[in-house]
Amino acid sequence: MSNLIKNELTKIFKKKTIYITMLLIFLMIVFINCMNKYSNSSTYSAYMYSESYIESLKDELSNLNPEKPSDVTLYINLKSEIDLSNLMEKYKDSDWKLSIINDRISPYITEINTYTYGADKSEEQARKATEEMENIIAKLDENDWKYFANEDLQNANSTIEELNNQKAQTQDTEIIKGLNNEIENAKVEKEIAEYRLEKNIPYGVDYLNIALTRYQTSSETLISYDLDNKELDFEEQKEYNNALTTKEESRYIIETGTDINKSDSLKGSLQYFYSQYGVFIIVVIIMIAGTIVSEEWSKGTIKLLLVKPYTRTQILLSKFLTVLIISAFVIVSTILMQILVGGILFGFGSIFEPVVVYNLSANAIQEINIFAYLGIQTLTQLPIIILLATLAFAISTIFSNSALAITISLLGYMGASIINQLAIAYKLTFMKYFVTMNWDLSQYLFGGLPYMEGMNLITSIIICVVYLLIMLIPTFIIFKKRNIKNI
Amino acid sequence: METILKCESLCKTFGKKQILKNVSLEVKEGDILGFIGPNGAGKTTTIKLILGLQSITSGKVIINGYDIEKDFTNAIKKVGAIVENPDMYMYLSGYQNLKLVANLYKNIGTERIDEVVKLVKLEKRINDKVSKYSLGMRQRLGIAQAILHKPNLLILDEPTNGLDPEGIKEMRELLVNLAEKEKMAILISSHNLAELDNFCTKVCIIKNGEVIETSEISKIKHETSNEVEIFELDNAEKAEKILSIDLRNNKILGLEVKNSRMLKVNISKEEVPYIINKLVENNIKIYEVKQEEKTLEDAFFEKTGGNVIE
Repeated sequence: MSNLIKNELTKIFKKKTIYITMLLIFLMIVFINCMNKYSNSSTYSAYMYSESYIESLKDELSNLNPEKPSDVTLYINLKSEIDLSNLMEKYKDSDWKLSIINDRISPYITEINTYTYGADKSEEQARKATEEMENIIAKLDENDWKYFANEDLQNANSTIEELNNQKAQTQDTEIIKGLNNEIENAKVEKEIAEYRLEKNIPYGVDYLNIALTRYQTSSETLISYDLDNKELDFEEQKEYNNALTTKEESRYIIETGTDINKSDSLKGSLQYFYSQYGVFIIVVIIMIAGTIVSEEWSKGTIKLLLVKPYTRTQILLSKFLTVLIISAFVIVSTILMQILVGGILFGFGSIFEPVVVYNLSANAIQEINIFAYLGIQTLTQLPIIILLATLAFAISTIFSNSALAITISLLGYMGASIINQLAIAYKLTFMKYFVTMNWDLSQYLFGGLPYMEGMNLITSIIICVVYLLIMLIPTFIIFKKRNIKNI
Repeated sequence: METILKCESLCKTFGKKQILKNVSLEVKEGDILGFIGPNGAGKTTTIKLILGLQSITSGKVIINGYDIEKDFTNAIKKVGAIVENPDMYMYLSGYQNLKLVANLYKNIGTERIDEVVKLVKLEKRINDKVSKYSLGMRQRLGIAQAILHKPNLLILDEPTNGLDPEGIKEMRELLVNLAEKEKMAILISSHNLAELDNFCTKVCIIKNGEVIETSEISKIKHETSNEVEIFELDNAEKAEKILSIDLRNNKILGLEVKNSRMLKVNISKEEVPYIINKLVENNIKIYEVKQEEKTLEDAFFEKTGGNVIE
């Protein structure tokens, strides 16, 4: 039996096919890594205007007449945008200033233009808005972003105070409930301002600011669920879990200052290994599984094999085990190629950084060594890989047709996510016993909820095994009974 | 002598069509059985049943005392075979192909592989890819992989396809050698009768899925009573005219002028003196009278009645 497997491996490794496909994977890896490196390394800025865009705005503006009632709204919008771009142009070297302009000054610009050109003109109002705006600009020129953070903090504090006062004056439970929600949201804003000051995070668009924003929105989601204080159904629980994960992961980013979602590093590329390379790995494995039996039929060499002192079951089993061994080979060599290419492009240092995930069942942030993480991911993807390889293997054995085997298996792989999405969207509960809903075990990782209510890890594994046997048993029976006709 | 292969009334049907009807044959050690029949007679099917490549509808195949259907691995252990074409892994070298075969049996070392390569005279090209081989070389490689594990039953399906006359002669010598020295039992199918002549020890003729004759090769040739005598004369045309009277009264069954000096006469042995007498009386000089040996081919066509596929 081991000799049969050894022969099968010899046959595969003496063929050019496997080297060509591995070379293609290698080129793909180089391509994807370069994309990651050079698309992210161009510094991302909050300034978003191009000269030609501003020119086109000015052109359009010159064609409009603010006196004409039909033009006036568009005129105000265009004028505001041009004013905003002029201001941003001036401060475009500082991300935090741009953010402040975008968030706090742009409403004033619109206000000024509305009062100057709009239907109810008011010089008084326009002057007031201009004053406010100039105050903020003056602060910008002082180069102190902390002023704004402190202002945020004060605003949040006074909002909380005011809301508490309101709460004390009313007895209406509905109103109190609404106020409580607002108070909690204000507390989050306060928390964010405090984080900004404490962790020294200027305004901007970098990963820390993104984390702050995500922290805020996810916290708000959680607050509304917590205050409702009712039994959550499955979908709500899923949303709640997502918000909780986002909040805790964002908190980790803010507190430690590390970008755990960074993809342009060796660690990052390994962290998202299967979402980037899973499809290539599966294509190669399906190709080998779909040819290993049918090629012997089409070339007539099956006769050589079948007149050797081994039973047909042994011969087919050895081929199936060979497919599994080759699958492991393809996965491991793709990982090694990624480490090599990623290491050369991004440096090998990040390999020691842990992957950070929030574990819902332990209610804690978990730091996992990248190789352990990759191992866990591989285990969760094994059912997909094995089941698709078995599908290709079974079809190629039963119909002696490689093209059919490879096509059907690839369609199955590509169709699976569509099938799953439809099943989830239309709540087709019977689909929870279907293979594609169960074969991706990563849905259960770190206490996550499955695609559908009522699914669990053990039944998913059982369903995958049942599907495996449904494919394998007829394959072995048919192969055993098969007549070798003229080839 | 021990019986190596025994087929007992093999039947095979595909759907409604009966391919084989009660085919029985036996090969003993040291025997070379020529398995002869026109195309479509069922030669390859019989071989596939013997090797367990197709299921047997009814009947039995016993190899070295083991039933091929009940105890496949033991039955096939000492069998070497080429079925239909010598199909090899084209992208591997000849040597790598042999190595793959060697891996599947116990105790086949590199010396045995080298020995077999020498035996089939492929030493010079054994490290080339099989895709560069001619059909004849692939046949030889096919024989090499079939005899690598020293089987005691060798089954060859049309092994002379693609071999040149010298190759055929060499293979004939190789097979005779294997049968005589290694006491191998050999079953060799062919439609090229001329090649099997003088080299098989036994012949089995199959037609339309039925065995119509199994016997020692010498028996087949001498079975029929009428013989052909060849007369060497000074004037064949004249002699033909003289003898054509006897053709009409059935003393002579056939007359044919080969050339001006040769006349072929189909008669029974008893009539030879009468013919000589008559020719001498007519002043025809007789230089030689000899019996023409019947070829296997003649015997074959006599038995099968030509090549008809139904």
